[in-house]
Amino acid sequence: MSNSAQNLTSRRRFLGLGGLALGGLAVGPTLLAACGSDSSGSSNSNNGGITMLNWPLYIEGDEPSTSPTLKGFTNSTGIKVAYKNSIDGNESFNTKYQATLENGKGIGADIIVLTSWNAAAYIGANLVQPFDIAAFPNKKNVISRLANPSWDPGRASSIPWAVGQTGLAYWPDKVGGKITDVNTIFDPKFKGKVTVLDELRDTVGLTMLGMGNNPSTGTVSQMLAAVDKIGKARDAGQFKKVTGNSYTEDLALGDTWIAVAWSGDIAQLQADKPGLEWVIPSQGGMLWVDNAMIPVGAKNVEGANKFLNYIYDPAVAGPLYESISYIPPVTGATQYMTATAQASPFIVPPATPPLFEFDVVSADVAEEISRAFVAATEQ
Amino acid sequence: MTAAAAPSRFRRPRRDRGGDDTGVSARRWFTPWLLIAPGGLWLLVFFIIPLFSLGRLSLENGGLSNYSMVISDNSTVIIRTFVYATISTIAAIIIGYPLAYVIATKGGKYKNLLLALVVLPFFVTYLVRTLSWKILLFDGGPVVSILHSLGILSESQGILGSPFAVVAALTYNFLPFMVLPIYVSLEKLDRRLLDAAADLYSSPARAFRKITLPLSLPGLFAGTLLTFIPAAGDFVNSELLGSERTVMIGNIIEKNFGKEFFRPELSALSFMLMAIILIGVIIYARLLGTEEIA
Repeated sequence: MSNSAQNLTSRRRFLGLGGLALGGLAVGPTLLAACGSDSSGSSNSNNGGITMLNWPLYIEGDEPSTSPTLKGFTNSTGIKVAYKNSIDGNESFNTKYQATLENGKGIGADIIVLTSWNAAAYIGANLVQPFDIAAFPNKKNVISRLANPSWDPGRASSIPWAVGQTGLAYWPDKVGGKITDVNTIFDPKFKGKVTVLDELRDTVGLTMLGMGNNPSTGTVSQMLAAVDKIGKARDAGQFKKVTGNSYTEDLALGDTWIAVAWSGDIAQLQADKPGLEWVIPSQGGMLWVDNAMIPVGAKNVEGANKFLNYIYDPAVAGPLYESISYIPPVTGATQYMTATAQASPFIVPPATPPLFEFDVVSADVAEEISRAFVAATEQ
Repeated sequence: MTAAAAPSRFRRPRRDRGGDDTGVSARRWFTPWLLIAPGGLWLLVFFIIPLFSLGRLSLENGGLSNYSMVISDNSTVIIRTFVYATISTIAAIIIGYPLAYVIATKGGKYKNLLLALVVLPFFVTYLVRTLSWKILLFDGGPVVSILHSLGILSESQGILGSPFAVVAALTYNFLPFMVLPIYVSLEKLDRRLLDAAADLYSSPARAFRKITLPLSLPGLFAGTLLTFIPAAGDFVNSELLGSERTVMIGNIIEKNFGKEFFRPELSALSFMLMAIILIGVIIYARLLGTEEIA
């Protein structure tokens, strides 16, 4: 008797577990949506303050509340900043928030940060609002090469928050010396030991440079030719992986010998792995810009302008960008950095080789290239 | 004791149905619906409705041509996905069945401890378990160095990034889902049937084939589903331990669902995955003859 009762419970318990697992599968997508609404709900409690959504590692330290920059701003203006490291990708951000913004509703954020191609789309669709120059006079401090993009003349409604580089990271002991040529990633000698990024603007841009084309001004057919080259190399087994953030794991382990890499990641990896080398290839590297903007429906527009004004004070920007190891977009900020930071290629890249920002192409062209890139790198 | 309890369970409801007045019967009629309401509502809101909207999305832009397009574009990946899922399920049966058998029949007082050990890896998050394989299997790691020194792998060969790494990790990650249902079905098996077989001069092997195996089929069937279905939809193992040669359907969906113009095709791909699994399960159920579950 006791035996059969035990069987019954264990079976029932097991079936319950199965149900739980199935429930978890079904609820996955809605969890995403729940995360989206979470941040809009909590901002209401932030009376008189501002809410900023940003990418991870774009402010000092792991815990934003301890950031000297945020503390300094609150001390000098009395405005509190609810700062959230909640943006993990342009596409996932669009999935969460774009529809709400298109309905003209706020998303509970006063400042958002998006990469140029996506920022351009937001400006084109009027999902963000222009800055208030009276509250943001320091806007004039933006470095000249980023001061006047075609998609936002005069930086009317977007301002660079972080500027990073895409180049190559490699192990000199494994590849047998220094690397300067971007085409090394296609060298059959390193077959299966190379990773490239699944962000097409980085990988396609570098490949275009290797083919002698300019990614900032190149034609669609030049872009597609680069995609084709990447696809053929992948089919030949040249690439260990075409991947996103996770490339750093294999690189740190030494399984990857050469990686198309983001400067911020390598700045951090080198702290643990001094043997790892970073290079902007002789043909040039890629530059990417994440831009701060004030979305429609922001509750504290004035506070948001004031905050960006505070960041664009060179004396504030200097220590901030030294701490996060990105190129400061603020003129004069390097004067407020230590000599070590001024010598860092991650913060102050040398004038040559040049850095190129990938052309902000129209939505149709972006889709065409994106489709070609997915077809070339995933099937 | 067991045998005596079982028939009474079957008899009781029949007796109840015979003698009831109308008030009780109304309540009787109502109760099961009330009990399934929370689960039913949950499934409606979080399963049926999303499934329906996904189905509609899969027909946007191109209609049914989305389906033919995803099949022709991804045929290699689709085949690879099901090959991986099938191999890891078979491997889980080969490893899991003897394990469940020993725990159920020879476990004795250690039964619960052994079961706990099977479930123990679940106390560590899936992601960390899989990532730790990376540290174990990388080119400079312990496993590869041993295999190199034994000459099993040549110096240029590694494990990380190979189909072997992905299939092995799939097997490992879903193994408990195979062991537990098989264990349950073996544990409730009436030992006296085996005694009877022995009394009738059956060899142990024959008794296993004629009694134990057929009676454990429901568990084997449930275990196969619980292993095969998540393995076919998995992307974590291939993403973390695989390479460009081990891309599975889940990877393509996971990477591209953010791109708005891809969603109809990816929804079609998801439905394809579901349809293939469903057809596979029906065929499998027919072959195994476990109508009670299918």
